[in-house]
Amino acid sequence: MRPEVRGLQDAMRQRNYIADAPIATAVHLALSMEKPLLVEGDAGVGKTELANTMAALLDTELIRLQCYEGLDTHTALYEWNYQKQLLRLRMSADGGAPEALEDIIFGRDYLLERPLLRAITRTGGAPVLLVDEIDRSDEAFEAFLLELLSDFQVTIPELGTIRATHRPMVILTSNRTRELGDALRRRCLYLYVEHPDFVREVEIIRARVPGVSASLARQITRVVHELREWRLMKPPGVAETLDWARALVTLHQDRLDADSLKETLGCILKDRHDIREVSPDEIDTLVDASGAA
Amino acid sequence: MTRMAPRRGTAGTDGRGPGRGRERGGADLLVHLARFASQLRLHGVAVGLRDEIDAASALGHIDIADREEVRISLRIALKVPRRSWDVFDTAFDEMWRAAPGGPPRRDGRGLPRRWRGERSAVPPLLRIRRQMAAASGGGDADEDEDAGSGCPGYSPRALLRQKAFDVCTEEDLLAMERFLQRLARRIAVRRSRRLVPSRNGRLADFRRSFRNSLAHGGEWIDLARRERAVEHPRLVVLCDTSGSMDAYSRFLLAFVLSLRSMGSRVATFAFNTSLTRLTPWITGGNLVATLARLARNVEDWSGGTRIGECLLAFADEHLRSTVRHDTTVLILSDGLDRGDPALLEMALLAIRRRARQVVWLNPLMGDPRFSPEARGMRTALPHVDRLVPAHDLESLEALLPLLTG
Repeated sequence: MRPEVRGLQDAMRQRNYIADAPIATAVHLALSMEKPLLVEGDAGVGKTELANTMAALLDTELIRLQCYEGLDTHTALYEWNYQKQLLRLRMSADGGAPEALEDIIFGRDYLLERPLLRAITRTGGAPVLLVDEIDRSDEAFEAFLLELLSDFQVTIPELGTIRATHRPMVILTSNRTRELGDALRRRCLYLYVEHPDFVREVEIIRARVPGVSASLARQITRVVHELREWRLMKPPGVAETLDWARALVTLHQDRLDADSLKETLGCILKDRHDIREVSPDEIDTLVDASGAA
Repeated sequence: MTRMAPRRGTAGTDGRGPGRGRERGGADLLVHLARFASQLRLHGVAVGLRDEIDAASALGHIDIADREEVRISLRIALKVPRRSWDVFDTAFDEMWRAAPGGPPRRDGRGLPRRWRGERSAVPPLLRIRRQMAAASGGGDADEDEDAGSGCPGYSPRALLRQKAFDVCTEEDLLAMERFLQRLARRIAVRRSRRLVPSRNGRLADFRRSFRNSLAHGGEWIDLARRERAVEHPRLVVLCDTSGSMDAYSRFLLAFVLSLRSMGSRVATFAFNTSLTRLTPWITGGNLVATLARLARNVEDWSGGTRIGECLLAFADEHLRSTVRHDTTVLILSDGLDRGDPALLEMALLAIRRRARQVVWLNPLMGDPRFSPEARGMRTALPHVDRLVPAHDLESLEALLPLLTG
C-alpha cells in the first residue's frame, strides 16, 4: 500500500472514521487527481460521514447541498436579493441613468450565494462540497451539475461568468433510487461502499460509541452480520449498528441476552416485515450467534 | 489542489513514479490497460475512453506493485458499478494472473469463467441464458418458448381456466372501471415539483417579474408567474397471467387500460409460460370487451408460470425499446415460479439497471401472514426497489405515489 494511502487511513482513523482500503484509496485518488468522488452504497454505510471527516481532515468548511426533486438553480446556485434590489430602486426613483442603476442592483452585493456558488467562491481556501443524494434531484439538475463539475465556473446572465477561485473537493452521494446519467458518472471517480467486515465494524463501534466494551461491540457486530445474511427488506447499516450500540450503552447492558435483544430490536430492524420475521426461536439464534451463551 | 492534499505523493502526476513495473515503460502498462478495458466491454461493462484515461492517471498515484491496490484503484477510476464487480474481478485476475505477489485470487462469485474462446457477438445476457438452458438440458432457449407441447397451458385444465376468466360479472367490472378511471386521471395530471414559467400559474416568479419591471423603470406592472411542470409517468407493466394470478391480473390490466385512456405511455406485457406483448390488443373500447379479447387471443392465459424465462425474454427483446431512465417497471406476480430462479435474478438485474424503479406487486401480500417465501420472490427481493401489496383496489391506489414519485 502506498504510504500516502496508509497515512490518509490513519488520519481518518484519528477522526473516528475507520476507512478500509477502497475508501482510503478512493479519497487519495480524488484528492490527487482533483476529481469529484461519487459514493454509492446502501443506506447507513457512512457516505455522508465521509464528507464530514474529509472536511475535518482538510481543516476546511463542509458545504452541503441536499438534493430533492424540484431542486433548481435558485436554491442550489444563486438568487438575487429582490427585496434589497427593490429598495434600491425605490430610493433612486427620481431618476439617474438606468444603466448605472442596473449595474448596481445586479452587482455582487445583491447576489445571494447558495451552496454551489459558495463552494467555488469561498474565500479562505477550498471547502469540501457534499452533494447529498444526487439521485433524488431530477435529470435537468444533474445535467447542470455536470457542467459545473467539468468547468468549475458558472455563468450568471446579469453578472457574467464566475470562475472558481479554487477547486473544492466534491463528494456526491447516491442511494441509487434511480440510475445516474452515464456522463455524470464518467466525470467522477466511483466508490461503492460496502458493509464493513467484522473487524472494521467492531472498530467503528468502539471509535464512535464511547463506553462500549470490546466484548459487547463484538457481540453486536456478530448479530448485525448474521442479520445481513438474512433476506431482509432493510438490512441494518452501520448507522443502525451504532444506534443499537448507543441504546445498549444507555440501558447499561454490557452483554446481550434474549430480553435486551428483543427490547432493542427496533434499533436495527426498521421494517414491519423484518421485525415480524424474527421469531422467538430466531432471537435465540441471534443470541447464539452473538456468542453470548 | 496541492494545498488540499497534504500527503500528495512523491511520484507526482507525470506517471513516472517509483513503482517497480514502471521501469519497463509506461507504454506497456497502457497497452495492458487498453486490453483490459476491451475485455470488460466485451462482457458488458460500459467502460469509455475517458475512464481508461482516468485509470491510467490513477495508476500514477498508487503503488502498482500492490496488486490489491491496483484492483481497487482500477475499480474506482473505471467506475465499475457494484453489480459488475464479479465480471471485473474475473477479468482482473485473468489479466494480471502472471503478476507476482499480492493476495491470492479472490473468488469470482458465480459468473462463467470462460473468458477466452468466447468472443462471440452474442450479448452476454443471451449467452448466459443459452448456457443455462443448455445446462438444464432444455435445449435452445428460443425453442423452449415456441414449443408449447410441454407447457401446462395446453392442458384441458387451462382451457377451463380461460373460461373462469369471464366469471367476473359485468357489473363488477363496470364499477371497477369507473374507479380506476378516476385513479388514472390523477396520475395523468400529476405535477412535478419542478417549476416552469407559465402565464396563469399560481406562484409568483419574482426573478422574472423583477427583470420585466426594469423595462418600466422598476415599476411592477404585472407579475410573472410559474407553476409546477406536468409530468407523464412512463410505465411498463409485466403482468403474470398464470392461473394462480387470475383475479389479480384482471385488476391490474383494468388499471392499465384506464391509464392508457388518459394518454399515459404504458407498454403492457403478459407472461405465463411465455411472454406476450399486449399493447396491440389494448386498443380501446370498454374494459369488458378488451378483457374478453385478451383472454381469447393471449396464448396460455391462466396457465402455469415461468417468470425467469419470460422476464429474460423481455430483457433481451423489449428492454431497450420500452424502458428509459424515467420508466417505472411494474411486475405483477405472486412469485410462485416453477422456472430457474437464477434466470429471474439475471433478468431483474438487467431491467433494474435501465429502469427508474422496479416495483413488484404481490397480491399475496394482502395476507397479514405473508412473508416473501416463494422461491421466485426470495430471489427477486434484493433486486426490486419496492415490494407492495396488490390484492384490491385500495392497494392499487396506494401505489399511486410510487408511480409518480
